[in-house]
Amino acid sequence: MQIRVHFYSYCKELTGSASVVENVEPGSRIENLLQKLFVHFPKLVPVQKSLLVAVGVDYQGADYILQEGDEVSLFPPVQGG
Amino acid sequence: MRREVNITTDKIDEVALLQRRELASGMGAVVYFLGVVRGSEAGRPIDAIDYEVFADMARRQFDLIFDQVEKRWPLASIRLVHRVGRVVAGEPSLWVETIAPHREEAFAACQFVIAEMKRSVPIWKQACPV
Repeated sequence: MQIRVHFYSYCKELTGSASVVENVEPGSRIENLLQKLFVHFPKLVPVQKSLLVAVGVDYQGADYILQEGDEVSLFPPVQGG
Repeated sequence: MRREVNITTDKIDEVALLQRRELASGMGAVVYFLGVVRGSEAGRPIDAIDYEVFADMARRQFDLIFDQVEKRWPLASIRLVHRVGRVVAGEPSLWVETIAPHREEAFAACQFVIAEMKRSVPIWKQACPV
């Protein structure tokens, strides 16, 4: 199953791209996807505890089960205003 | 409750926003807040701040915040403009207006929206040093 992952703010700089497509097994959770991302983009590892994850336009936790067609976004704490 | 969100690269036009204010007869309090880019960040002078936004999610999160406001306070209206892209020092990046029957609700709701925005709305900033 292919999942598109978008990066925002300094996650874009740490990964060198605005988005990637990751292959995950059906039934995978966000935590599984993150582990793959941390292998492919080790610069994310030092900031992993502060990262926020959304699926579509809603925040989701590490135990969210990914569905075909989900678009995941990964970003640091927000700073509006 | 009237609700409006505008996430824009355009300058915030306060005059136009004030002209579009709708004040029903039972509403006795209007609070508006203007957030302005300071000329320094962490003690260092800056020229501007670059704001990045995940726009679709930002609109969704503002909607969720406004849902909470609607449950907690009897507001007639909430309007919010957040500027994104480059905002030079001295210019506003945020405008929020709340209209309620009494000042307590208007102030509380305005404060709440800004605090929640800083917690959940996907907007990020990067200072541009002088």
